[in-house]
Amino acid sequence: MGKQINVALVGNPNTGKTSVFNQLTGLTQKIGNYPGITVEKKEGVTKISRILTAHILDLPGTYSLNASSLDENIVIELLLNKNHKDYPDVVVVVSDIENLKRNLLLFTQIKDLGIPTILAINMADRMERKGIELDIPQMEEQLKTKIALVSARKKTGFDELKKHIKNYSLLPTTPCCNVSSIDKSYFDKLQQTYPEQERYKLWLLITHDANFGELDRKTIASRNGLPQKTKDEIKKLQHKEVVARYQFINGMLKACFKQDLNLAKGMRAQLDKVLTHPVWGYLVFFVILLLIFQAIYDWSTIPMDWIDEGFAYLGQWVKLNLPAGMFTNLLAEGVVPGIGGIVIFIPQIAMLFLFISILEETGYMSRVVFLMDKSMRKFGLSGKSVIPLVSGTACAIPAVMAARNIENWKERLITILVVPFTTCSARLPVYLIIISLVIPDEHLLGIISYQALALMAMYIIGFGAAIAAAWIANKSLRVGTRSSFVIEMPDYKLPIFKNVGLTVVDKTKAFVVGAGKIILSISIILWVLASFGPSDTFGNARKNVQAEMASTDPMPQGVDMEQRIASYKLKHSYMGIMGRGIEPAVTPLGYDWKIGIALISSFAAREVFVGTLATIYSVGSDNQITIKERLAGEKNTATGKPLFTLASGISLLLFYAFAMQCMSTLAIVKRETNSWKWPLLQLFLMTGFAYLTALIAYQLLNL
Amino acid sequence: MTVADLKKGQKAIITDSSARDIPLKLLEMGCLPGNEVSLLHIAPFSDPMYLTMNDTHLAIRKQTAALIEVELED
Amino acid sequence: MIQEILVGVTVLAAVGYLVKKFFFKKNSSNSCGSGSCGCG
Repeated sequence: MGKQINVALVGNPNTGKTSVFNQLTGLTQKIGNYPGITVEKKEGVTKISRILTAHILDLPGTYSLNASSLDENIVIELLLNKNHKDYPDVVVVVSDIENLKRNLLLFTQIKDLGIPTILAINMADRMERKGIELDIPQMEEQLKTKIALVSARKKTGFDELKKHIKNYSLLPTTPCCNVSSIDKSYFDKLQQTYPEQERYKLWLLITHDANFGELDRKTIASRNGLPQKTKDEIKKLQHKEVVARYQFINGMLKACFKQDLNLAKGMRAQLDKVLTHPVWGYLVFFVILLLIFQAIYDWSTIPMDWIDEGFAYLGQWVKLNLPAGMFTNLLAEGVVPGIGGIVIFIPQIAMLFLFISILEETGYMSRVVFLMDKSMRKFGLSGKSVIPLVSGTACAIPAVMAARNIENWKERLITILVVPFTTCSARLPVYLIIISLVIPDEHLLGIISYQALALMAMYIIGFGAAIAAAWIANKSLRVGTRSSFVIEMPDYKLPIFKNVGLTVVDKTKAFVVGAGKIILSISIILWVLASFGPSDTFGNARKNVQAEMASTDPMPQGVDMEQRIASYKLKHSYMGIMGRGIEPAVTPLGYDWKIGIALISSFAAREVFVGTLATIYSVGSDNQITIKERLAGEKNTATGKPLFTLASGISLLLFYAFAMQCMSTLAIVKRETNSWKWPLLQLFLMTGFAYLTALIAYQLLNL
Repeated sequence: MTVADLKKGQKAIITDSSARDIPLKLLEMGCLPGNEVSLLHIAPFSDPMYLTMNDTHLAIRKQTAALIEVELED
Repeated sequence: MIQEILVGVTVLAAVGYLVKKFFFKKNSSNSCGSGSCGCG
């Protein structure tokens, strides 16, 4: 075990910083959160030499150190706080070859902080195709650093990068660009007051509201003799700073960077012509969406059927092979169906994350933002709301966080409020099982399955509800705010398999493990509630059933008898008592008390629904059947007709489409909006609306 | 004239970008006097505008574009 | 008898997990103070 150093990766968005990170750390990476806030923290380890390992931290992408969002604040908080446990020994600024000029702005800022800084120029494999030539030795001299030309795609240049990291202590820590000229007397005064600090660091401390540990804005401001700056003055100085840095960068690039534009080739112009076209652009977007739904519904049903049958068999096996008793029953009737209820959806969830990550990796998502901005604005949203709304199809939690990119507070608030309407992957299990029960398994024109169409309709209903709610919120919210909107349109890239793969694995794992624990716990509790009851009814089930039947049917016996006892038991278990308590509220929607229980447990997490039904229906049943078969055979305990009809199915689908049934989302909305007002508004309005539409749908269809 | 007056395919040089409502982020992406800007595409309903500025490809709304003073290149 | 004890332990664990998850979630304060850093 040798020495370990801290390396921080910093860079603009869209530079392939994460690909460089993946290349360096591979499967050693861990994704967590920064303490107290929900910004994703990615870290990993790489071996630099025989005696040196590096702990690598992938910081959120930022265009400069003038932070304007929570994610960007993370970057300066770490770089300015020497006492931070992750304070880097060396920073690697990842830049891409085509936007070198803009990327160098961030580089010169970080260089001014007095930390050893290496420049990694990514996508070096594109240099030739773009007709670019660089004079690396001269750049190294002017930037006072070491430069590594890397390509995360071709996996080249990483040995050189590691060599520079290894020799980090030899790097000069002097600034390469003198920005104190923007207000010399002020910077000199700052320096006199804190002779041991870097000037630029002090400047950042003054202009930011973040937590830097040793020093903060108030301490500096309270020192005598320092002139105070107003907000406008600060903005002017920041403007001047940017100009000064670009002057330096342009001067350097003039000497070191040559591009023969005749050689420059790229797909950007041709692709943009189609993908941002007023007609073709929308058409392509629609076809891509259709493809995603077809994939999720049709293609992933095959592995899902295997998993469903596998778990049905496993439950049966447990019952037959373990010693008979209460715990075996718990395993076979509570735990196994509970786990099965979540594992079965892995293929679909992985597929969904696969598509979303490909759309982001290729750069296509920005084109959608561009196309949609004007129309979204009519509803009080921003083009950038498309990203939360699309990633909301995976999970509302990251989607609410993705809304941070929206500059305008009103647009951001509305986006946060309506995102939970989009069809998240937790609704998927519920939709899938209900659709497969009530929509015929046939194909339109022999190709497109009706079930896939139904699923797509559910997604459209989700988006439609989000848009309608946004429109209402836009009309009724009075929030004054300035509008600004800047989005980079990155070049098109083929997705890197490793990036996509890692995203899919990480996200799916987080989903399964996170939701899995809740589902398992709830399944266990439900099993207990369904397996025990008051002794006078539940305890005397056999006697009571016999007595009841003696009056109607003189010769009750065999299988029929056992089934009647099981259903009598369930009805008089603690869960049955609770369920029948809420039955009056759900009967008008076409549900029985069992679905009522599933609805209530869904407020912990929607995907609990299927597991709950699986547990409820498997208690007391001996046969090896799948969840789907069980539900299809279920009769409404009140009417005796099949429970899942078109009317009750549609009613359930609508309820799940609109109801706010996710505690984690409510918690994140509270955190992001800093108030209980908005999550509570969501909870009551959405759930009330869900009840109403489900009621209307059932009553109309059941006429 | 401002960036909002550009027609598709036109190129211009930025002459002034000091208006208060221009976000700092846009300046950092290279919206500074002397830099070239050209209009690549306009979204349906003529907003937002897809530009290259200082070799960066980006999109901004018309109202922001109207704050950036430019002169056409000949 | 062992089976009953196992059931008891499992159920307690499940209840404990849910209670911890939903009622004792640490609400650590936002490190980002006032101003324009992502909180409006």
